[in-house]
Amino acid sequence: MANPMEQFEVVKQVPLALAGYDISFTNSSLWMVIALAAISIFLFVGTSKLALVPGRWQASVEYLYDFVRKMMDENVGPEGRRFVPLVFSIFIFVLFCNLLGLIPWIGAFTPTSHVSVTLGLALIVFITVCIVGFSRHGLHFFSLFWPKGANPVLGVFVFTIEVLSFLSRPFTLAIRLFANMTAGHVLLKVFGTFVVTLGSFGALPYVFGVVPLAVNVALTALEVLIAVVQAYVFALLASLYLNDAVNLH
Amino acid sequence: MPQFDFAHVFWPQLFWLGLSFAVLYFVIVRATLPKLGTLVDARENKISGDVAAARAAKESADAVSAAYHAKLEATREEARAAITAAKAVAAKESEVTLAQAQAGTDGAIAAAEARIATAVRDAEQALRDVAAEGAQAIVARLTGAEVAIDSARAQVDAQIAG
Repeated sequence: MANPMEQFEVVKQVPLALAGYDISFTNSSLWMVIALAAISIFLFVGTSKLALVPGRWQASVEYLYDFVRKMMDENVGPEGRRFVPLVFSIFIFVLFCNLLGLIPWIGAFTPTSHVSVTLGLALIVFITVCIVGFSRHGLHFFSLFWPKGANPVLGVFVFTIEVLSFLSRPFTLAIRLFANMTAGHVLLKVFGTFVVTLGSFGALPYVFGVVPLAVNVALTALEVLIAVVQAYVFALLASLYLNDAVNLH
Repeated sequence: MPQFDFAHVFWPQLFWLGLSFAVLYFVIVRATLPKLGTLVDARENKISGDVAAARAAKESADAVSAAYHAKLEATREEARAAITAAKAVAAKESEVTLAQAQAGTDGAIAAAEARIATAVRDAEQALRDVAAEGAQAIVARLTGAEVAIDSARAQVDAQIAG
């Protein structure tokens, strides 16, 4: 039985180093670049011939754009328009990485199944939130953590909890996505091995492989759903965190 | 889990993530999304503009229709007044004409009656003259007495009156 963790192995393709840090081009890098290429084809083709009445490509790009824009309008308000490109970039990058990683046979790698990648993305959100928060509100940004009208003793207690929960945001954001993607791929791999193992049952070949195969088909559909939903959740939480920074509350 | 083998997977992935995301955000999205945003805004503006224009057109059409109906009503009222006035004028005119005609006729009748009266008087006078002369002649033939014409006339008048 193949190790279900083997698919997450980062393999160096071109060893590189910069200032003592290992920045080798790996299969993970390759699939990020593939996602980037797919996104750029999608976006450039979709916006090449812009028309008031959109064609198919344009309508698809517009659908995603409108989706992010509405989300920002609802969660942040008119100020949120400035952050639409950022949230859109995060959303589409996570979405394409998640979906491309699900393609079977071609040795697809899912960069978003690595906590290093998801933490990087979460830090982009976290750092943006901090910069926006402090530049807009200065030290007043700390009032985000203070419960209004609470008694001071309780206030200090809640303040501590709020600060800790704020600081843990990048980690929860990163781990949610990484864990979902990893669990899904492990499950697919495990049931995939079951197909082979049960299907090669000597006395009655193929027959018992059908059950895990059916499960795998259903799981694949579920994983496509999870790929989309997790990209949405990531972008949604990014928009909610940005709302804290923009509007306090 | 290879994911937690940070010594080998952290920096290469973070570097390439940073690079990819920078290209995505600063090149790809910056080059495409604002165009799309402008277009979407333009479309929204166009639609709301068209709706506003349609609403304005409907309002002006309503106003024109109301003005038309008001004008129609006013004109109708005017026409009604003109008809009434014309009727009054015509009635007055025909009354005057009738009165004039009546006056003319009355004059003519009076003149004719006067003429008739004169003619009757003349005829009576002529008859008296003839009768007086006749009586004078008869008396002269029968008696040979010459009767004055005036007494003959007086006799005739007395005879007629008696």
